[in-house]
Amino acid sequence: MGGLLELEGLTRRFGSITALDDLSFSVQAGHVVGFLGPNGAGKTTAMRAVFGLTDLDSGEVRWKGEAVGQSARRRFGYMPEERGLYPAMLAGEQVQYLARLHGLTPSDAAASSRAWLERLGLGDRVGSRVDSLSHGNQQRVQLAAALAHAPELLILDEPLAGLDPAGIEAIGSVLVEQAGQGCCVLFSSHQLDLVEDLCESVVIIDHGRLVVSGTVDELATRGARRLVVRVDGDRAGEWAVGLAGVTVSEAERGALRLVLEEGTDSDVVLRAAMAAGRVTEFVFERRRLSEVFREAMREAEPEPEPQPQPEPLAEEEPERGRSGATVDGGER
Amino acid sequence: MKGPGGHLYYVILGVLVVVAAIRIVFRVRRRRGLGGMPAGGAAPDAGRPRRARLPAVHLDGDTWLVAGREIRERMRRRAFRVVTLLILAAVAAAIVIPAATRTKGAPQRVGVVGIPVDAVRSTLAAAAKSVGTGIRLVPVRNESTGKSELGSGALDLLVIDGRAVLVENAPTSTSTSATAQLAMAAAHALGDALAVASAHLSAFQVAQLSRAKPVPILGLHATPPVKNANRGTALTGIILIFVMLSQYNGWTLIGVMEEKASRVVEVLLATVRPIQLLGGKVLGIGTVVLLQSALIVAFALIVARVVGSSLLKGAAPDVVLASLLWLVLGYAFYCWVYAAAGSMAERQDQVQTLALPLSLPMVLGYIVAITAASSGSPSALVRVLAYLPPTAPFDMTVLVGIGAATWWEFLISALISLVCTAAVAWMAAGIYKRAVLRTGHRVRIRELLPERA
Repeated sequence: MGGLLELEGLTRRFGSITALDDLSFSVQAGHVVGFLGPNGAGKTTAMRAVFGLTDLDSGEVRWKGEAVGQSARRRFGYMPEERGLYPAMLAGEQVQYLARLHGLTPSDAAASSRAWLERLGLGDRVGSRVDSLSHGNQQRVQLAAALAHAPELLILDEPLAGLDPAGIEAIGSVLVEQAGQGCCVLFSSHQLDLVEDLCESVVIIDHGRLVVSGTVDELATRGARRLVVRVDGDRAGEWAVGLAGVTVSEAERGALRLVLEEGTDSDVVLRAAMAAGRVTEFVFERRRLSEVFREAMREAEPEPEPQPQPEPLAEEEPERGRSGATVDGGER
Repeated sequence: MKGPGGHLYYVILGVLVVVAAIRIVFRVRRRRGLGGMPAGGAAPDAGRPRRARLPAVHLDGDTWLVAGREIRERMRRRAFRVVTLLILAAVAAAIVIPAATRTKGAPQRVGVVGIPVDAVRSTLAAAAKSVGTGIRLVPVRNESTGKSELGSGALDLLVIDGRAVLVENAPTSTSTSATAQLAMAAAHALGDALAVASAHLSAFQVAQLSRAKPVPILGLHATPPVKNANRGTALTGIILIFVMLSQYNGWTLIGVMEEKASRVVEVLLATVRPIQLLGGKVLGIGTVVLLQSALIVAFALIVARVVGSSLLKGAAPDVVLASLLWLVLGYAFYCWVYAAAGSMAERQDQVQTLALPLSLPMVLGYIVAITAASSGSPSALVRVLAYLPPTAPFDMTVLVGIGAATWWEFLISALISLVCTAAVAWMAAGIYKRAVLRTGHRVRIRELLPERA
């Protein structure tokens, strides 16, 4: 089947705050796409815009080349960041009800909701009230609800937040499988290592604008070459500090991460390392996604905004203004 | 003035409401049968600007799905069943207790001793008729036999020589049992008969006296005769309308608030339009309103029939129908207001600050109506409130109950209520659409009005 989601020129202002600022990107079917950005970057607003849950000041969301309407949205699946289930309803009925609202017949909805809950390990909790389930299990019910109508596009806001490794594995494998079956999958996350494992592509935004997008491979190998050097007995890595065209990006337990500028000869580095001691490791390294992310953030924001953020009109992005641009995994 | 024509119009109005409800249900059912998986391909409504501000509820498959969930979840709750049972018990008590104390089902057995039965037959029959009970006259051989039969319960009453009435327990002025009433009426009638006999009147004079009736009391302002039974029915109706409206309004308010607070609304609005969600909720709870009130009315009528209550006599059925109709109209009006209010809050405390001011008009209409029902004469205030949609469910019902409303006054009030309901629904849909996705703090009306310059 294969579909294409295009966001073009999305702009949304809340009073003095611009949540989306001419944001454009597209999501190809068959890929798991990670949607990254610091808190308050506009991820949630962009995702809600796809479902018509926020009014846009300008811009358009297109699916397979056509503006998205209600009947197209019936074939989308959505998992919002916060719980989106009736607490007093039974898990099975809840998923079935949402599947019916997406156009499934009663029997199809019953079969599909049962199958998905079983697939996600909740076969014995079909008749349990949602509020009697643990956080992780509620998250699984939520995912089942997003999947039960076999959507062509799956948009998930922080689907992995607060899950234990088993939950992450269960939900992650479903996402990869869905993409493999031709579904368009876009999910936001702060856990960059997980995103790196699950996603073929990423879209990074900040301040409502696109910062960078592309496949993980592309981004990991793009730009300056990176070296990991370990010299026996050396922990601070002072030997590398003066080298021309070389920047020390981090020194961690004796492993030195170096960024080489264009045209810098790695042999020069190797000789300098050998001069400092016995070289036990000398490896060219792919950039980790967290580094791509941090770099992207640095480029996107040449000067920090000094003024305190005014209280936003609380339609969405509740996290905005609470903390700065911190991202789990980006700190390590 | 309420003639037979008046009854007819209430019946027609009631029937129209039921027919409309049935039509809605069937239309929706038919559509629902078609609501399968949409075929793939381009979206037929893609690119169409969102159809905003349509007050009409789209009675399509989605709306009915939402309504169906609402009905199932409401009916499932134990609290709902308990409340329904309590209401039924209260209604049964309201019907059975007065009926049981007023008339016993079986005729009163009256023993006659010392004189021939025929000598007192007409006198006692007239007395029995005046208190609304039947009698069966039994000749008794002597007084002691009569006393023992009275003691064993074979007789209710013993007339001795046409000069005394013997009962098991002598009645007081406040006794309401059928036997006590009959005993007092019989005592009066027998006394009159004795007086007539001792005056040696001619047959013509006796006939004249027996036709005596009170002279009419004329008021400066014409007041239609008030029937106690109707007032009682109206009172019960008003109390039920108040209890049930409060319950349904609470459901709507809390239901909308909970959907917003749990963010279910985001998942739902990702696939249905706000008006479908709102309409489905209102329709679903409305169906429960109809079912619950129809159950109560049917139950009341059956109980009334079984115990031979006055609920089935005179204009009382009209009062029942009017109560039912105003319950539905009252719900239709208030549900939009409460849904809009619920969409502006997402916490219990925020809801409470909204609920109090909203309930004031209802409480006002209720208290004024109760006062009118107990006094039996409508004040000017009731007459005004009977035409205002927030208070009409109580005050128009009480006017019908005390016979102070003509059919066309009733109809005008109902029409005003319907028109205002449409206007309120239109505004509520607008507020709901804007407010229900805004989270964080309670949404203020001012934020909703000037959306864009």
